[in-house]
Amino acid sequence: MSHGATHEQESKESRESIEQTAQTLEKLANYGLDAAKKLGADAAKIATSASFQKRLVVENKVFSLANSLSSRSIGLLVHKDQKKGSASVNTVTEESINHAAASALALAKYSVPDEFLTLASLSEAPRAKPLPFLYTDELAAVDLVAIQGFMQEVLGRLTSDARIALDRFEMAVDVSCHALASSTGMRQAERQAMASWSFMGMGRDGEEVTGFDYDSGFALTKSAILPGCLRDSTAFVAKLLALFKPRQCPTYKGAILLTPRAVHELLVDSLLYHAGGRQVMDGKSRWAKSVGQRVVSDKLTLRDHPHDPRFSGATGFDSDGLPTKQQTLVEHGVLQMILHDCYSAKRCKGKSTGTSGGPFALEVSAGTNSKAELLRAHKQLLVVDRFSGNADPIKGDFSGVAKGSRLYSNGEDAGSVTETMIAGNFFTIAEEVLGVSRETELVSGGFLSPYILVGGVSVTGG
Amino acid sequence: MKDTLQQLLQGQQGFVELRYHKRTANSFVAQKGRVDVANHAITEGVGVRALVGGAWGFAATADISPRAIKRAIDQAQSNARMLAKVKAGPALELARGRLSHQQFTGPGYTELTQMKLEDKLAQVVKYERQLAAASARMHTARCQYKEIIEEKAIVTSDGVACSLQLAQPEFSMTAIAEQDGERTTGHKGAGVSGGWNCLFKHPALDNAVDETARIAVDLLTAKYPEGGQKTVILAPAVVGLLCHEAIGHTVEADFVKSGSVAQGKIGQRVASDLVTMADSGCETISGYAVGNLPFDDEGVETENTVIIKDGFLRSYLHNRESAHEFGVAPTGNARAWLFNDEPLIRMRNTYLMPGTSRLADMIAGVEDGYLVEGAGSGQADANGEFMFGTGYVWRLRNGKKVELLREATLSGIAFDVLQTVDAVSQEFLWDLGTGYCGKGQAAKVDAGGPYVRCKITVGGEQA
Repeated sequence: MSHGATHEQESKESRESIEQTAQTLEKLANYGLDAAKKLGADAAKIATSASFQKRLVVENKVFSLANSLSSRSIGLLVHKDQKKGSASVNTVTEESINHAAASALALAKYSVPDEFLTLASLSEAPRAKPLPFLYTDELAAVDLVAIQGFMQEVLGRLTSDARIALDRFEMAVDVSCHALASSTGMRQAERQAMASWSFMGMGRDGEEVTGFDYDSGFALTKSAILPGCLRDSTAFVAKLLALFKPRQCPTYKGAILLTPRAVHELLVDSLLYHAGGRQVMDGKSRWAKSVGQRVVSDKLTLRDHPHDPRFSGATGFDSDGLPTKQQTLVEHGVLQMILHDCYSAKRCKGKSTGTSGGPFALEVSAGTNSKAELLRAHKQLLVVDRFSGNADPIKGDFSGVAKGSRLYSNGEDAGSVTETMIAGNFFTIAEEVLGVSRETELVSGGFLSPYILVGGVSVTGG
Repeated sequence: MKDTLQQLLQGQQGFVELRYHKRTANSFVAQKGRVDVANHAITEGVGVRALVGGAWGFAATADISPRAIKRAIDQAQSNARMLAKVKAGPALELARGRLSHQQFTGPGYTELTQMKLEDKLAQVVKYERQLAAASARMHTARCQYKEIIEEKAIVTSDGVACSLQLAQPEFSMTAIAEQDGERTTGHKGAGVSGGWNCLFKHPALDNAVDETARIAVDLLTAKYPEGGQKTVILAPAVVGLLCHEAIGHTVEADFVKSGSVAQGKIGQRVASDLVTMADSGCETISGYAVGNLPFDDEGVETENTVIIKDGFLRSYLHNRESAHEFGVAPTGNARAWLFNDEPLIRMRNTYLMPGTSRLADMIAGVEDGYLVEGAGSGQADANGEFMFGTGYVWRLRNGKKVELLREATLSGIAFDVLQTVDAVSQEFLWDLGTGYCGKGQAAKVDAGGPYVRCKITVGGEQA
């Protein structure tokens, strides 16, 4: 058999076996629920998954590894006398499931009683609407030879300039299925075929070494792999080449422009913390009683789109088994909801929002300014691409280095900056939003955002 | 399992490496009077690497029957053949080094595996209750215990045949104190390669309940340090973080090949002559490091690899492939997180060697500066630029600790900062045993060192 035929066969087997495996896992999940009940559990939930992965790795511009993996797992959560324990195994036999059930129950026995433990009921968690775009046979059939072909083409772009020191470039196709089942009758299942890629590297020109950077992307169809990966690689190369000859940034207090990636790190992470049910439950959120009130600038709107194929996190159900739905978290600065899972909802006397393990596909709404306008808005403006530093989520204070960042002077690019520290407070910058761009960018396939101009930040040049 | 793997190697063409790995991971989190996590997880399987025509193929199977492992060998070889057709560059070869034949059982393994899970969970719940009761200002008490119990067997077609049993427990506690809406955090933690008793004898956990609560409460009334270029004394946890993040990653040979700032600097002065830095896989200085391993995941016996000797860069960190390429012996740094991960060049216990100064004398020598305690999160870049968070800071004035201050961030260029080191203490501590390094895969690592006096940029309260 030729090598091509071997890999075609492998892909065919993985497609067939994902179906068979899903059926096997469903049987084992029912077996696990029975096993937990027989051992004395009051309630139980089982999460099962199986995946086949084909992955190629390029290191230092040379193909270095071809990889085929298959994996399975079963995780079991039990409740006994209002106490909980959990266990997981990756060998899915009846014997290993019995072991997991016994271990989970042994832990539950010695845990602490908690009257708020709960599992989603069948009425709360009806079968989720399937998302057909998550799986195509054509993508599932992509083999290592095809992946190598895609990567070879992209590699040409990544190595088009000798100053690009490409540390690692990977591409993988994952075919997977995962399912949830509970003693309360909840049953969910989903399958997915996804191609993903990532780049890591830096610029090196003689003795000059730039900062390290990375990017990643994904595709849900075979035809989207090459254009998507070429687009991302082009942006990656341009970003690295722009980092040479960094200059000292002036020290000032005032406005900075956040790229979509920095929007996530400096605005959205903290926003999600304070809108999180677990934080509300534990008295760590400032917004426990702020639903319906304005909590950030009215220029900010944040939505979750778990059924949108543009996002790698799209899914039909959350990790409690509740169906997901499009939801608005913040509308023109007004907090619309607290993100509850079943447990925090019960503790807070609320309802789960179907966001356990989420939100899944966040979008900050585009604004009315052009990016160019925002760049011209201040005589000197630091454009922050990444933040590496300390953030106190409760108080909102942050302090650290602005990575991959650039200085704009009167709207003109004055070059990258070196060792520049930024410090400020989330609540201050979230209130002091000076402008939001019309242009949006998808960050690593998971988050869509415009550029956002915020004030009140201390910038200290190195 | 080792014998089964050796039988499966019979008659194989070319280089084949079989690695059986069973990991049992138990984790407990108690917080605010409840148990958030009480989990027991087993991950088991065989990872196969095959080298054919100068190219690597990898496959893994969770089914450990001989038939399934044989199928994984065929798949790995097929993958390698596919890649060999398209691979450019020099043919890949492996340095030999000290290939292990050990059957190793780590200290504390029997003790930890025989102790009942429920007894461990009960202890964690008890500590959380003690911490919660330690101060009237306590808002949140949180205790976390994790243990990794490893069983491995590695065989290769060129002579490796080794196995190990290893226990790596870790424990940490976090206190959040509150007063008038202000909240501050205290944290203590330690990890070891050893048993339960060894873990709780770790010096970093001395008086842990009272100390964690006291730090959190005392910081409620503390100010922030002033920012700027300062004379600082870095505590062992911060020194360890600097060694790992800002130097260690730049000397991993795969990263050196990519163009890290350490490329081409072997033999050059990169630090003050007071600086000797190493990465060790074997017990060094004290027995509390968590990254002690008899051999790495290629079956190469570990060693104490001196990276910087008296200020001069002396060695990179290697696997068998990079060692051959650089013409040196492998250093035992190839590590894989799970059976289905391929071995990568990773650190183990990374540290600065202790010096001859005494901490008290080092403090006495500072007219105006800081003593920086406790490591927070940290990142470093390919050019050696780093940024670390810290736990808390003591203001030093006229040779004395005069005021407790809140956390600071430290930043700089690693090799530049090491050039400013003017004192290194005799006192030494492994102090990052609860840390995990991320490089595509996780790795359990430790780091530490003596107290080190240097000049560094402190990002404190902004004007």
